[in-house]
Amino acid sequence: MARVVRVLPPFLLLALLALLPLFHLAANRVKVLFLTFLLITASVAWNILGGFTGQVSFGFAVFYGLGAYTTALGINAGLSPYLTYPLAAAVAVVASLLVGLPTFRLRGPYFAIATIGVGEAVRVIMTNLAFTGGASGYRIVEHVPFRQAEHYYTGLVLATLAVGVSMLVRHSRFGLGLRAIRDDQEAAADSGVNPYALKLAAHALAAALTGASGGVYARYAAFISPDGVFAFQRSVAILLMPIIGGVNTIWGPVLGGGVYGVIEEELAARFPEFHLLLYGLLVILIILFEPGGLMGLLGRARRLFQRGRDA
Amino acid sequence: MAVILTVRDLTKYFFGLAALDSVSFDIREGEIVGLIGPNGAGKTTLFSIIAGSQAPTSGAISFEGSDITGVKSFRAVHSGIARTHQITRPFRSMTVSENVEVGLCFGRGRRTRNVEKEVMEILELVGLHGHASMPAVTLSVGHLKRLELARTLAARPRLLLCDEVCAGLTESEMQSILDLLRRIQSLGTTIIYVEHNLRAILSTCHHVIVLNFGRKLAEGPPEQMRNDPAVIEAYIGKKAEG
Repeated sequence: MARVVRVLPPFLLLALLALLPLFHLAANRVKVLFLTFLLITASVAWNILGGFTGQVSFGFAVFYGLGAYTTALGINAGLSPYLTYPLAAAVAVVASLLVGLPTFRLRGPYFAIATIGVGEAVRVIMTNLAFTGGASGYRIVEHVPFRQAEHYYTGLVLATLAVGVSMLVRHSRFGLGLRAIRDDQEAAADSGVNPYALKLAAHALAAALTGASGGVYARYAAFISPDGVFAFQRSVAILLMPIIGGVNTIWGPVLGGGVYGVIEEELAARFPEFHLLLYGLLVILIILFEPGGLMGLLGRARRLFQRGRDA
Repeated sequence: MAVILTVRDLTKYFFGLAALDSVSFDIREGEIVGLIGPNGAGKTTLFSIIAGSQAPTSGAISFEGSDITGVKSFRAVHSGIARTHQITRPFRSMTVSENVEVGLCFGRGRRTRNVEKEVMEILELVGLHGHASMPAVTLSVGHLKRLELARTLAARPRLLLCDEVCAGLTESEMQSILDLLRRIQSLGTTIIYVEHNLRAILSTCHHVIVLNFGRKLAEGPPEQMRNDPAVIEAYIGKKAEG
């Protein structure tokens, strides 16, 4: 019974989200939800590497951007959009290996710093690449009518897939190895774990999901530019969401993505720079008082509530 | 008895300083071999190199007939060599049984299907079965030493490298750890055992190797080593002249 109570809420939420378009929501609301699904996907993906494995990357915009450009080029070449998403994931995986092979030889903060450099390098290259329009961006031309519900469901399926992958990883031998690396890389190697290979695999998995979300975004936006999809701010956003929600958990990155999506949409439009201040403040508060993020806060609240009930 | 590990002319320099200087020895299968020497003699460095945590400057190591010089530590584990750490290094986010599971799922016996059963068997062997579901960080020093051993054993080593498993333990805790080492040996695992406590070494080991300033000073049966003048000098110092 207790197990049912625990398992039920995610399914109810999923059912609600699946039925939502039937209620004729305003187009703008659907758009916010759609974008939030993509944010959640990237957030959950980042957590596989940054949370489960403890390897903090500031370079996830690389995968998001490459995924976006892969889908854009694919659609313009006449491919079905749904065929371009796996391609976007595959390109991101190749990129993750190119980034990971040298940088995973580095430890701790050095890996994080290296990913900043890689991210900026890729952005500069894409800004100067002629066949994708360079800095002026790239337009996607699709000869089918725009259907918002289709985008909405694509985003929902992708986010659900990401959460499913994250759960599978968490409860697998692979996930156990990642935790061992997070706790103590040398002790993990002394227990037979190959840290280098496992980190590369976690990076590739995270990149695939992030790349696919970039692809789904590109088709929706119909126009992408290096300053948008490869922005350093995007890398930071992808890292902030799981930290806000609660790193190294299943639902923390989902919650963080949801909160971020709503704040971004509600505040960014009205106060262009204010939301950045808010994130800064949130992160400082989280690091100081609740490293477990919103999930940590929820856990604390639940314990308080239970104590109140027992007394 | 067959030789399981051969070390030849092993040398390790740190910034021009020789931590190990042409050390050679053989380890026979099924023995508990004590590795002793004063602080800084090179014992832990020797362990790290055999276990693959560090690469030697020169020299060769072969294990069960194949050359393992300079292999990475996880490969050494897969070939059957596993070590414990002097200062215990539990996986801090995990429970006791999850710690052991890591060794089981990634060590030499990693293709096993009966993970839960084997974890419990190992925990029973080291006497931690009552703590299986406790977070590793809540264990006492003595129990952490047992957990370190359990995780290492879970990797199913043919050669176990024990680095000061008795340091910081009470007399009775030490005796039960030594009993445990004898049991592990009787189950077919060869053990190299680094220890400061000479009494622990003399009561447990079949053979003793003495290191001093990175060189092999002497080796032989424990009784002989206890009376060897060079060994006494290294440990206690020279008799005053005159």
